[in-house]
Formats: sequence, structure tokens, C-alpha cells
Amino acid sequence: MIGVLKSMATTMKHALGGETFTVRYPEEAPEVAPRFRGIHKFSQERCIWCRQCEDVCPNDTIQIVMDDRRNGEQYNLHVGQCIYCRLCEEVCPTDAIVLTQQFEFTGDTKDDLVYNKEQLKSVPWYKGSDPLAAREPDRDAWVGDDDGEIDYQ
Amino acid sequence: MNVVPLQTVRLPDWLAGVLGLDGLLGTVVGSLIGAALVATVMLTMTAIAGPWAKRKITAAFTDRVAVSRIGPYGLFIIVADSLRLISKELIVPENADRPAYDIAPIVVVFSALIGFSVLPMGNLGGVSIQLADPEAGLALVFAFASIATIGLVMGGYASANKYSLLGGLRSVAQAIAYEIPLLVIAISLVLFTGSLQLSEFIAYQQQPFIDLGVFAIPSWFAFVNPFAFLLFLVANLAEIGRNPFDTPEAPNEIVAGYQTEYSSVYFVLFYLGEFLHIFLGAGIITVLFLGGGAGPLLPGFVWFLIKLWAIFLFTQWMRSAMPRVRIDQLIGIGWKGLLVLSFANLLLTAVVVGVFNVGV
Amino acid sequence: MSTFETPDREQEADPETLLEDLLIGTEAHRNAPGVVIPPNAVQEALTRLREDAGYDHLSTVTAQEYADRFEAIYHLRRFADPTDELSVVVPTSKEDPTIESAAPVFRTADWHEREAYDLMGISFEDHPDLRRILLPETWQGHPLRQDYDQDRPQVVPLREHRNPIAENQQTAEGEDTMFLNVGPHHPATHGVLHIETVLDGEQVVDVDPDIGYLHRCEEQICESSTYRHQIMPYPDRWDYVSAGLLNEWAYARTAEDLADIEVPAYAQTIRTMGAELSRIAAHMLALGTFALDVNGDFTAAFMYAMRERERVEQLLEELTGQRLMFNYFRLGGVAWDLPDPREEFFENVREYLNDVPEAVQEFHDLLSNNEVFQLRTVNTGVLEPEVAKDYGCTGPVLRGSGVAYDIRDKDPYGRYDDLDWEVVTEDGKDNYARVLVRIREVEQSARIIDQCLDRLEDWPEDDREIQSNVPRTVAPDGGQEIYRAVEGAKGELGIYIRTDGSDTPARFKIRGPSFSNLQVLPELAEGEYIPDLIAALGSLDLVLGEVDR
Repeated sequence: MIGVLKSMATTMKHALGGETFTVRYPEEAPEVAPRFRGIHKFSQERCIWCRQCEDVCPNDTIQIVMDDRRNGEQYNLHVGQCIYCRLCEEVCPTDAIVLTQQFEFTGDTKDDLVYNKEQLKSVPWYKGSDPLAAREPDRDAWVGDDDGEIDYQ
Repeated sequence: MNVVPLQTVRLPDWLAGVLGLDGLLGTVVGSLIGAALVATVMLTMTAIAGPWAKRKITAAFTDRVAVSRIGPYGLFIIVADSLRLISKELIVPENADRPAYDIAPIVVVFSALIGFSVLPMGNLGGVSIQLADPEAGLALVFAFASIATIGLVMGGYASANKYSLLGGLRSVAQAIAYEIPLLVIAISLVLFTGSLQLSEFIAYQQQPFIDLGVFAIPSWFAFVNPFAFLLFLVANLAEIGRNPFDTPEAPNEIVAGYQTEYSSVYFVLFYLGEFLHIFLGAGIITVLFLGGGAGPLLPGFVWFLIKLWAIFLFTQWMRSAMPRVRIDQLIGIGWKGLLVLSFANLLLTAVVVGVFNVGV
Repeated sequence: MSTFETPDREQEADPETLLEDLLIGTEAHRNAPGVVIPPNAVQEALTRLREDAGYDHLSTVTAQEYADRFEAIYHLRRFADPTDELSVVVPTSKEDPTIESAAPVFRTADWHEREAYDLMGISFEDHPDLRRILLPETWQGHPLRQDYDQDRPQVVPLREHRNPIAENQQTAEGEDTMFLNVGPHHPATHGVLHIETVLDGEQVVDVDPDIGYLHRCEEQICESSTYRHQIMPYPDRWDYVSAGLLNEWAYARTAEDLADIEVPAYAQTIRTMGAELSRIAAHMLALGTFALDVNGDFTAAFMYAMRERERVEQLLEELTGQRLMFNYFRLGGVAWDLPDPREEFFENVREYLNDVPEAVQEFHDLLSNNEVFQLRTVNTGVLEPEVAKDYGCTGPVLRGSGVAYDIRDKDPYGRYDDLDWEVVTEDGKDNYARVLVRIREVEQSARIIDQCLDRLEDWPEDDREIQSNVPRTVAPDGGQEIYRAVEGAKGELGIYIRTDGSDTPARFKIRGPSFSNLQVLPELAEGEYIPDLIAALGSLDLVLGEVDR
């Protein structure tokens, strides 16, 4: 009987304690860590079309098409198929693609989540936020030797 | 010791008086309207308990916030849930045994509601909220509560689903095993009151038990015979199918037991029926052990409802803390454990009543 | 390795000598010597190896296809010393691949051979029940074969599928049993698992698990991904209930041993800490879902377990960037160092570790000290240690039967051999013992993490190497074969890789611990009641991602 009573006392203690472990989303957003791998940010100015990201991506999420002069024509990123492994960011020599902390993005169908180069310039989810600022003071852990300003579009 | 009967008007008679009818017509009309009022109150409580209170209580036990968005304190979830459940498609399995399949949920709800007809639910402004006060009230209320078993078995058998069948069989075994200890404990209380009439129970429990000068502890049977109170609580948990005895609808083992094939309105009826039975069981406990509608300051009926909710909270507490026993262990506890203890309690009560001459 | 001598075995029990009359060749794999025997001598050879040489653990059976033959490899180990391994290689012809089955010798070979038959098409003679296991019984073709055409549609009409109820209809003799499908849609099967149960009233007469609903061709995906980067996100998805880092370590260990890559000590320490955090999270989920199975839906124990697991996930999110699919290990180390500022991270982890004893005590109060819980779990789902070993069970399932087999202890990797911790075993052999093993392992993991933190805090700043210098393309020399295992959350998680000189594996075989653990379910559940079946299933702690891959 003692064990039974102790179990009952344990749950009652929680009930009377009144603390909650959950957060009232969306009024309070949960804090994500600086290293959180959310939606991508592609910077066309920094991209040098080396195609390392396309090569390393485990499930063909990135598709790059070049013309016969080896200029980059298309950069297609299927955000719905991506597994958010961050290998593309890791191998990119110029930090042209980074995974930001934003996790609030939606699409009506899975096909809506394919973005080409033009669409990636104007996606709504990081207007007004600096996706790389969240990585301070951790940036040196992953950003290369370049300490200059990162430009956005 | 003579017990002075209460001098209040019962609800049907008061309604008949208000409407100016008398004789048989007055009794019938008064009873019907009274029954409708009582049923409305009980169904309202069930509606609050099911979608809202159960979730709030479970959330409190698990450190969460639940149902807080729709309406003040989330109360409009009741409306939202009802609309949602009623608007679902009613899917009837092809091989279901039709009349039995349809009648089962109705029987469950019916048996709970009719049980409330003989319970004395306290006073409200001079009117005793009790629809009928037959001399065999105690036996009647247990009989009414047991009709639910027929509904469960019908639901289990008529669903043409193996999980439902298992659930139905389990519920029959459980109900039979725990009915007898309940009755034997209730009989041990009759030794005090000398009558099966439920209003006599209330009247008896209003007498003082221990006089402490400033106030007196009334002789609620929970204080007079706490052992019987605990036994009755446990047996009642088994009778209404709550943890640790909720094997008939063990969702982890037999999906939903007898409720598996029921959807939409039928599911609402089963769901409501389950909560109505919890409240009926709580009502029986209140009348038998907690003095019915007795308490300081507030009207009796309000105290009755408060006690019902207290026992409901207790069942939810057990649900969040206790594991479920296996069906064979459950039958063993019923026939070997509780039965023996309840007979022992009966003997002990008989001895005490005989020696100290406390009863009628 | 050319010598088979070990200190505790005599010369006559040396495998080459034992199998003298059967041997048709020897091979040298990276992890063990290999003996090649003909396909009709499997039972004889394995019986001799088991009885005379003491190889009592058949880890897995790998089937593969070469240009000129099929081959099945039986990976043998000893429970007493898992570093003593032997690969029994059985080649067979390309036209008619048939091998004698090892199921009479090792019960665990039953399902492994069924999988080899299913995916590779090798038939096993004398197998008690050779039918497809992962794919539906009407599947045409064997997917892992090189001549399998992925684009040809599978056209199978519904009437050809097996009707599981058909043969159990009420017969004229009036058999009193009832056939019940538990799952694949069921609140209690941990994932999409279908158990065909035959019941006699409430008692279970026969249990036959039917798996394959979560088969995602992980092995083939890994065979077409590069060693260096592309395979690493996938191990997270085998045991997906937050044991991701342990799975990644299995792959990292195998590939690093194969390609002779050194891992710096600093990275090893971080790996150990991360892996033990993962293990705590996985065990919390196991306890929580077991409480759900035994207590019913509204139990508070489940939510408390989730809360503890959530705290670990937040720590792992700070460390790796994701809460469940970490992709944190790399070949040669880890992806990034501890988060800056380091002191804050250490403080967070230590704060969590300080609360672990209280959380464990809460579980003892709610579960193991509760008399009704003990009524349900003591003496139900009894698993004898010899039966468990025969079925190849590992992990808490085996340790709950008293066998102290833990790869971290006996075949150490990472920093486990210079940390102070204990292998947790219980002698109860029942569901209760397995639950206790998991609760106590949480305490041991907390101990390990504490010691790792002490070392990481004092690590000199210029010596913090998180990844050794590994080239961008890793292409080990061709023709090598290796099998390595680590202690995953559910047991021995092993990987077999065969190279062919390119940067993707030629054969990648995953030994999921839950696959072997699930096979023992009939032993646990037959003769008991339905609630005990559900409790036994919960105490085996399966993850269908590992079972089906």
C-alpha cells in the first residue's frame, strides 16, 4: 500500500505545484539554440557556383543548372525535401548558404516548397532579421577566416 | 433511537404545487418536469467534466497548460467539442448486430440518469431535490446502476469486432465481481439506519457523532466507519471502470474495448455515459457516506455537487497515478480480496451495533 | 590477424583446426579472421564453433552479391569476449543460391536468414519458415540484387495477398482459439508493427510478428552515398527516438576503423558525453512509453519522462543544432566544438545532472515501488538468459536476464575504458528487471557525463582538436570487409561494410538490435495474457526504425 500512496503523493505534488513545462506558443516562442538548423538562407552574391553543396547533399535537394559557359543559371532548393543536415553549409567555401534559426515557414503543398534562385531572394521568413547574428558569439566555430561584413539581398 | 423524518417538500410535489395541479396528474407532471431539471443539471455537469475539467485536471498533474484559448478559461471548448463530435460521420460496421448496436449506448446513459431519480441531493430553498423516495431506494439505485452492464455487453457483442468482444467480456466479469462487495458494504450501513430508504440515510447522518463543544462532527458514515468508506471507494472505482480497474476499455491493449466501433453520436453517448456513471457512483458515495447535501452555510444541493466533484477529482487523481491491473488479478481482487473484507466489515458492524446499541 | 590463439582457449578449439575437414579457404577481414566453408556444411561448422570454440553469439547474417557468386557471412562472437570474432563465409552459386540454414543451431538466424532470402534471394534449406519478412509476401524480385529493376512496377492483385484470417476460420473440430491482429494500427505497438496473435480467451497461444512497414531501404541508400559526408545523416534515422548520436557512433567507428582514421582524444570525450546524453533521452522515452502501456493513457509518468527527455534534447540542441536528427559526428571527430560560452554550457549540463537523482527517484516512486505496477510486471515476460543468448538479444533485454554483456565495457571505444562506471544487470529476468535496468542505466550515464565534463573543463585551450585531418573524399582500398558494433540504446548496433575502392560502400549491412530483440517476443508472451503481451512488447523497447531499416 505504501508504494501506491507514494505514487499518488508524487502526482498530487505536481498538481499542487503549479509550474508548467510547456510554453504558450505563439505568444511565447520557445528559445532555439544558436546552432539550430532551420530554413536556409542563400546569398547569390557570395555563391561561386562550385557545386559542392549539390554534390554533398544526401538526398538531391539542391539542383544547379549551368549554361555552356559554366555560368550559374538555376539554383533550385527543395525546402520540403531537405533533411536539414547542414552538410551544404559545411562544405560551402564562401558561406553562401547557411541554415538559420527560423523554423516558422509553411507551404500549402509540397510543391510550394521548391524555390528557385529568384524566389530565394524574396522569401518572407527572414525579412527584418539578421539570420547570422544569432550565431554570435559562436560564429568563429563555423564561419571561415573572413571577419568582414556579410551582405544580404 | 428514533429518527425524525425531514419536513421539506420534495421536488415533484413542489412543482405540482407551483403549477396548481394536484392528485395523480400533479405527481406525474411534477415528476416529469423534475426529472427533466435533474437530468439537465447532471448532463451539464457531465459536459463540463468531459471536455473541460478532465483536461484541466490532467494538465495540472502533468505540468502543462490545457484548454486555455477558446473562451474564458477555455470553457467554450465544451461547445467546440460537442459540435465537433456530433458533426462526425456515423460509421456502422457492416456485420454489426443492428438493434443491439444502436441500443447499447442509450442503455448506458439511461441507466445512469435513472439512478439519479432516487438519490436525495440536498435542499435548495426548502425544496428537497429528490424525485422519488421509495422504501427500497438503496436496492433500486444499485439495480439501476447495474443496468449499464447490459449496455456494455451489447456494445461489445454487437460491434462484430474482436477487440469489442474482449472489452465486453471483461466488463461483465468486472461488474459482477465488484457488485457484491458494494452491496455487502451498503448492507452494513443499513444496520445503522434500519431502513433502505435513502432519505433515512440522510436523516441519520445529520445526527452528531462526536460533540466537540463548538461544533459537532456529524455522523457521516465516512467518519463512523472509515474502513467501509475506503472499501466502498475502491469497489466503486471498479464498478465505474476507472484506473486502476479500467480493463474493459484498456486503450493500450484492446484499442477501445467495447467503444471501438462507435463513432459520432454513439461515441458521445458512451463518453457521456461514462462520466454520468462516475457522477452516479460519486452520488451514491455522497449519500451513503458523506451525508448527502449536508454542510455549513451553502445550500444542501450545492454541497452535494461539491462532493460529487471532489470524488470526480479523486478518480482523475487515481487515473494519473495508478497502473492498471490485469483482468485475472482484477477478478482475484474482487472475489478474494474485497468480498472477504466486506463480509468482515459486515460482521464487525453487526457486533458493534449489537454491543453498543447505536443503530435503530 | 593470422593467429587464433586466445588466453582462455586451448589449441584444439582453434577454428582452423576445428573445421579442418570443412574449410575451403580462409580470408582476413579487418575485424576478424574468416573461414570459408561450403554451403552444405553450415550447420556442422557452426555447431562445432559454438560448442567447442565457444562462439555463442551470432550477431548477424550478411548476404551479398559478387560478380560470380552470392555469399552469406555469419558474424560470430562470444558473449564473454566480443573482441574475439569470427566470420564464417559461405559462398554459393549465382544461378541457384542455396545455403543450409543455421536456424537449428542459432535461433537468431531464423529472421536474419529470412531477411537474406527476402532482399537477396538466397534460399536456405532446412529453415523452419522461409518466407519474406520485410517486404510483402507477393513482392516480385529481390531488391538488393544487382539485376533488380527499380522502375518496373509491382503489379500484384489484391486477391493474391495472404489472408491472415483464412486459415483460422472456425473448423469442424471446433477449435476454441481466436485470431486477432494487433496492429499495425494500434496504440501500443511502438511504431508500425503488426502482430498476428492467436488467443484462447484472454491467453495468448501464438504470436507472430510481421514487420516491414517501416522499411526504407536504408542499406541501399547508404550504399549509394559517400563515406565522408553523405552517409552520416542516415544513422540518426535508424533508432529515431533520440538515440541518434549512438547510431552515428556505430557508423563512425566502423568507417574510421576501415579507413584508418584517428580520432583526437578531445573529440572522443565530446562524443562520449553526447552519446550518453542520447542514451538518457532514449531510456526516458522507453520508460515513459512502458508506463503508458502498463498504466493507461492518462498516466502522469509518461509526461514526466517526456519532460526529462525534453531537457536533454535542449542540451543536445545547444551542442549539435538539432533536437533529434543530430548529424553531429563526422569521420575523424565531431562537427563542431562545445558552444560558446563554454561555461554556460557546462553550467546547463551540470544543472541537468543535479536533477537526475530526483527524477530517477520520482520514477521509482511512480513505477518500481508501486505495488500494482509490481503486480503487473514481476514474473511476467520471463526470459531465461540462455534463451536470450540463443536469440541474439542484447542491450537491456539481455542485461535484465543477468548476462553482463555491454560493448562499452568489453570492446571499449571512445573514453569508456578510462572512465569510472558500471555495467547494470538485474537477475529478475522479467519485465520488472528490464525496467530497473533502464532506470539504473540512466544513473550510470549521468555518472559518465559528469566525468566527461570534468575532463572537458580542464582541457588545455590549444589542444582542442575536434576533427582530425580527413581528406574531402574518403575512398578506402577495395576488397576490405569489416564488422564493428557499438552499444546503442537498445543493444548491439553493428555495421558491416565491404569496400570496392570507390567512395561509396559496396555493401552496407546494418545489424539493428531491435530486430533480434523482437524475435524473442513469442518466448515472452506465449502462455500469458494479452496485457502481459503488451507489457512484454513495451519492455523489449523496440524502435521500428531499427527493426525494419
